[in-house]
Amino acid sequence: MKWFIRRVIKKGKGSLQFEEEIHFGETLTIGRAANQAIFINDLRAALEHARVVALGNGRFRVESLVAAGVRIDGRFEHSATATAGSAIEVGNLRITLVDPPADFEAAVEVGLVDKAEVAAREVSEALPQSLAETGLRKRRWSWALLLLTLTFGLAIPVTAHFVPTLRSLTKDVPAIGMSTWDTGPLASAHHTMANDCQSCHGTPFSVIADDKCIVCHTNTKAHADPVRYALPEIAAARCAHCHRDHNGDTGLVRADQELCSDCHRNLTERVNNDTQLANVGDFGTDHPQFKVLLPAWDAQGKFTPERVSMDQKPLTERSGLKFPHSKHLNPEGLKTPDGVKKLDCANCHAPEPGGALLAPIDFEQHCQSCHRLDFDLRIPDRQVVHGDVAEVQFTLAEFYSKVALEGGYDDVKAPVFVRERRRPGQPAMTAQEQRDALVWARDKATEMTDSLINSRTCTVCHTVSKDPAATQLGWVVAPVRVAGAWYEKASFTHAKHATMGCKDCHAADLSLSSADLLIPDIGAVGSNNAVAPYACRDCHGGENAKHKLGSTCIDCHGFHQAPMPLRAAK
Amino acid sequence: MHDSILDYRGFRYLWVALILSIGSIVAYLWHDPIGVPNGGSWLGYTLGTIGALLILWLLWFGVRKRRYSGATGSVRGWLSAHVYLGTTLILIAFLHAGFQVGWNIHTLALVLMLLVIFSGFFGVYAYLRYPAMMTRNRADSTRDAMLAEIRELDGQTLQLADKVDKSIHDAILSSIQHSQLGGGVWAQLTRRDDSAIALAKLKEAVLKSNGESKQSKSGQTMVMMVDFLANQANDTQSENLRRLIDLVSRKRALATRVARDIQLQALMEIWLYIHIPLSLGLLGALTAHVLSVFFYW
Repeated sequence: MKWFIRRVIKKGKGSLQFEEEIHFGETLTIGRAANQAIFINDLRAALEHARVVALGNGRFRVESLVAAGVRIDGRFEHSATATAGSAIEVGNLRITLVDPPADFEAAVEVGLVDKAEVAAREVSEALPQSLAETGLRKRRWSWALLLLTLTFGLAIPVTAHFVPTLRSLTKDVPAIGMSTWDTGPLASAHHTMANDCQSCHGTPFSVIADDKCIVCHTNTKAHADPVRYALPEIAAARCAHCHRDHNGDTGLVRADQELCSDCHRNLTERVNNDTQLANVGDFGTDHPQFKVLLPAWDAQGKFTPERVSMDQKPLTERSGLKFPHSKHLNPEGLKTPDGVKKLDCANCHAPEPGGALLAPIDFEQHCQSCHRLDFDLRIPDRQVVHGDVAEVQFTLAEFYSKVALEGGYDDVKAPVFVRERRRPGQPAMTAQEQRDALVWARDKATEMTDSLINSRTCTVCHTVSKDPAATQLGWVVAPVRVAGAWYEKASFTHAKHATMGCKDCHAADLSLSSADLLIPDIGAVGSNNAVAPYACRDCHGGENAKHKLGSTCIDCHGFHQAPMPLRAAK
Repeated sequence: MHDSILDYRGFRYLWVALILSIGSIVAYLWHDPIGVPNGGSWLGYTLGTIGALLILWLLWFGVRKRRYSGATGSVRGWLSAHVYLGTTLILIAFLHAGFQVGWNIHTLALVLMLLVIFSGFFGVYAYLRYPAMMTRNRADSTRDAMLAEIRELDGQTLQLADKVDKSIHDAILSSIQHSQLGGGVWAQLTRRDDSAIALAKLKEAVLKSNGESKQSKSGQTMVMMVDFLANQANDTQSENLRRLIDLVSRKRALATRVARDIQLQALMEIWLYIHIPLSLGLLGALTAHVLSVFFYW
């Protein structure tokens, strides 16, 4: 095989010189050894560095004989197939395969690699040696993040505010749309609106208008008459001044003492004494004595309770009932038709279904098993109704008419025909006898009614008087009120005090008379309630009370409680 | 006395930051907001305004540091203030929010801010620690000088290897051709250098030329080469090989120092690739945060 080797020698100033030679052999050897077909005078070449084997058809295999390899068309290889045009670099030489001239099977052109080219390649092939060379770009990432946060944090939500379609599309998508603006969970009462920002938020860059609140809260009352007390704090303040949502369940309704004491601690000055309310600051240290609602009736018998300070002395409860608690709570028990019974509070006092107050006392349920309304010793199981004098007399008249007609009534004062029992076959009563029987029955009924009401039964518990003008046959039974709200300005509930015993607050077992007011007062010095172990302040203190239950105004009093609408008519 | 960015002018900005922090804490404790503490109380708005202005001022540092001089103090003073007031921002932001967080743009701004600040902490550490380490590592040289020296050593090694043995020359040649310093971000940060590979290759070549086919169990290249030396009858060969080992070891030491230099340089810079883009992300999130809370006041 005949190889044509042409050496290109640069002579400076761009002129080239060629040296041509012929090599015979199957392979073209390349290396630093003297016996190599192509000799390289460069230490970067091994003695026998590489060889080129002709494969025929203009194809060659280039093989590296050392681990360092050869650079073929710019890349280091250990073995590669090459054709005319391929350049092999070893050390400082470039051997280019070229189309052989006539009479030759193969041809190469050998020349030195240009130094400038080597230098350029060293730069381009060098690995990055600083972060800037690795392609990391601060500025690019900065712009990307800036645009990303502005897009998702501002552009999309703002667009969603104005474009309802986008709003509904992104409604349930996390991190896209208005949900990205959500500053925190709504109070649970407002969860139904959690997906609809605009049910509260209206015009951009303006605070939430009260109109948005009043859409639902139509029945919310004013705090005080907004016309009479046109104070900025109550007449002009927005709902959202106090009611701050997006703070979970903790923030929406204010319960702090300052909510009220801010104004109420010097209320009289603020409103120029135009109020019946006393100044109040802290429940534990700066709250007036309670005013209790004592039962009272006006001349027409209408229930008109009076509010009286618990400091007033004497403080008499006029329940209308004669009822010594101590007697009923006798620890020895009470003699009853069913034997000896020990009573406790729960026998008569049960909570109302809501648990705040106690249910009214019911005579038939609570009293009658002992306080029977029987009227005639001879017929002890018959009783009259409770609470209706006319009905009582009517019942008795009917009852004694029947007795007179049947006879057999064992009373020496009764006529003979009433005393004797009539038997079948006896002749009928004469008309005179019938008239006499009826007179007896009517007299007996009247006598029994008078006796029941005036001396025997009713007066045991009730105060009864005679008044010819009264509707109940001239009898007046004093009205009764034994259960109800005693403190109408506060919302006390028994349900929250279930851990206490009744006697802790109500000294009923020591009360000899129903005139004793068994309601606890605010407590502390000068208390009327000293007999019961606990008054309110014994457990409750102001908001910052130490060693006591911190109680704020809202625990007992309402804020929106005036009988006027929330906003004065404009 | 030279003062660093931390003790600049007798810790001037540390005191400013401490006063700002203590003032914020006292105000937060004294403040009795309606409901729970949150960004919507007057103190919340106040701290939010302080925080937002601080962030803008901290971002302005990127502009300020590009100017050689300014009417508002030296860059070093600015950097000292940047570090201390940036740290204070963590406290101010949490007090502003009343420690409320959620899945929203507001907390995103907080998170970005914290990432920026903590990447900045690494920056402070890097600036205080690595320059001295770099100086020590370079040992009065420069990276370019060391690279030039490596090239010089490569030439000498080849020359010497050629005198010792063909296979050793081959190994050295291969290692020169394939050893490169630097690389991608991870390679730079983890100081990958293949001079150890070069030594292993040399060891293989030595074994080959010594006629041993199996690897030495001792495994230590140097030990193995000393063995090889001991087995050489020819004194000149021994001397050449000894010199070769010396050259390769010097190259290895140099390459290690260059790789370390690249690593330290990369560590000095890498945090900025987090700090700066995230701070621009923060600017976007902060803008969205401020505008959104007033958009839906």
